[in-house]
Amino acid sequence: MKNSNSLFLPEIAKVVSTRQLTAMEKYIELKTIDDREFDFTPGQFVQLSVFGIGEAPISISSSPFNRESIGLCVRRAGDVTSAIHKLEPGSRLGMRGPLGKGFPVKEMRGKDLLFIAGGLGLAPLRSLINYTLQKRDDFARIRILYGAKKPGEILFPDELQTWRERKDIELEITVDTPDQNWTGKSGVITRLMPSLKLEPENTFALIVGPPVMYKYVLLELQIKQIPETNIIMSLERRMKCGIGKCGHCQINGVYVCLDGPEFSYHTLKFLPEAI
Amino acid sequence: MEKRLYKKDFGSFITSLQGLGYKTVAPKKDNNLIMLDEIQGADEISLDHVITNNSIKEFFFPKTEKVLSYRMEKNKVEIEEPEGFAVKAVIFGSRPCDAFSLPVMDKVFNWDCSDKFWVQRREAITIVTIACDKCDSYCFCTSVGLAPDAKQGSDVLLTKISDDEYVVETVTEKGENLIKGLEGVFSDSPSGVPDRQVATVEKKFAIDKVKPWLDENFVHKVWTEFSLKCIGCGACTFVCPTCHCFDIVDECTMTKGDRVKNWDGCQFKMFTMHTSGHNPRSTQGERWRQRIMHKFKYYVEKFDSILCVGCGRCSRVCPADMNISEMLEIIATEASQPGNKD
Repeated sequence: MKNSNSLFLPEIAKVVSTRQLTAMEKYIELKTIDDREFDFTPGQFVQLSVFGIGEAPISISSSPFNRESIGLCVRRAGDVTSAIHKLEPGSRLGMRGPLGKGFPVKEMRGKDLLFIAGGLGLAPLRSLINYTLQKRDDFARIRILYGAKKPGEILFPDELQTWRERKDIELEITVDTPDQNWTGKSGVITRLMPSLKLEPENTFALIVGPPVMYKYVLLELQIKQIPETNIIMSLERRMKCGIGKCGHCQINGVYVCLDGPEFSYHTLKFLPEAI
Repeated sequence: MEKRLYKKDFGSFITSLQGLGYKTVAPKKDNNLIMLDEIQGADEISLDHVITNNSIKEFFFPKTEKVLSYRMEKNKVEIEEPEGFAVKAVIFGSRPCDAFSLPVMDKVFNWDCSDKFWVQRREAITIVTIACDKCDSYCFCTSVGLAPDAKQGSDVLLTKISDDEYVVETVTEKGENLIKGLEGVFSDSPSGVPDRQVATVEKKFAIDKVKPWLDENFVHKVWTEFSLKCIGCGACTFVCPTCHCFDIVDECTMTKGDRVKNWDGCQFKMFTMHTSGHNPRSTQGERWRQRIMHKFKYYVEKFDSILCVGCGRCSRVCPADMNISEMLEIIATEASQPGNKD
């Protein structure tokens, strides 16, 4: 975007397909109208706009190895996301990005990875998980913990099943409130953590979830003695410009949009108000 | 060679500028306010004030500004970028504090990537400042390292030496070119040292005490105390020449519309509120801490400038009679005699 005429000028993108994931979440696949290839790092986001409604920051959920299109998992929450939910294949959107820095994929190389996804946090982590599965030999042990509120809110169940069937990764799912048909684990995600056997110095923990989850997950990770530099969290903010000017996402001297949205705990602990 | 500008020549100054295609902006009366605004002739200029009610900011970063317009048909969108927003202009009679806000704001609008809306206006507009010959109790420029006759940010600085005479100093090449292009408007200086009428602005606090204190006191009782009177109206952020937060919204009819950038402010609860309802800065005390910290700590660390020019507008306009220089006095005093944090 740096070479563009205006920092606020979006590209036009078209909806290729849509898929209802849960009552609240929809998966939207986008291409640019000139079919340009996408090049992004997992954890980056786009400013997506429905013309006439406005812009909202949405993290990219698809694998960076798929360069023809990007996939976004959008929860219907505000004006823009509600409008996105109404879009059909062929609809036009505005898109700025990819924005932000994304996950530190280079530093993660050779390490054990512990993914901790809470609710919609699976959306950006899915991009990173699929990236690491594609480059499976670059990483050591891979474990995924995923917590949803209810069984009906579990995102990407088919994909979770294929992950579960793989022998080279471990997946555990829990729901806060099980229903009659649920046979898996129940309780908050931190319940999955005490039994984990980790090599702390060699482990990267990659966490995306609601603010309340971070506080408790951090406590568990500190018990496990994971180094602060290896705990990576993604922050949500009310971002507007996405380019470090408008002030909305500022935490102390940091602009979450530009400097993040992923940060190590080593950085975040010096940023009160971050979590 | 040093020049003079006589009050009687303001008319030909403004007319000559307009003849050269400049839009002319100067302080003018608007009922009970003195506003920097476009003028047609020198008779509209009003100079009998301490400071204009509005800051210089809106000429570079308007309250509301179209960043693009669009037209929609089914499965088709056309986007158009605005053109001609940077109009060649001279701002005459701005104050040194306002002029200094421009190089301070250049930093945020040019770091990492440049905002063309700001940059092109900066190029198009020439600043002819008049040094302050008076001040009021809200002024505190000298406390933040400025002076009532500071030159930074101005292209030309005028200083009053009598009721109808100003000394003219060119500060930048842009200012020099402006003066050169206006033959007959400026007079040569007679010999002798002129008696410059410059206000004496009292120094209210020791700025060097402020940042070290802020570094240590993110958690402190003063943040809540400061905020108790605040009604969260955000007026302070709008009149501030260095507050630069903005929102981006769409304004449209069914098939066409504009995407506009509007002033926003950190004193509003909604400024940081997520769609989920979670708010990382949920109290007014936290929002005041953000305002002070941003101006006197974060901006200093990131851009090596204080994000305050001591104009005092925030305090003049505050409906709850809050006063930022008093807060900074308290902070500087706390720094000298650390008290109870709770």
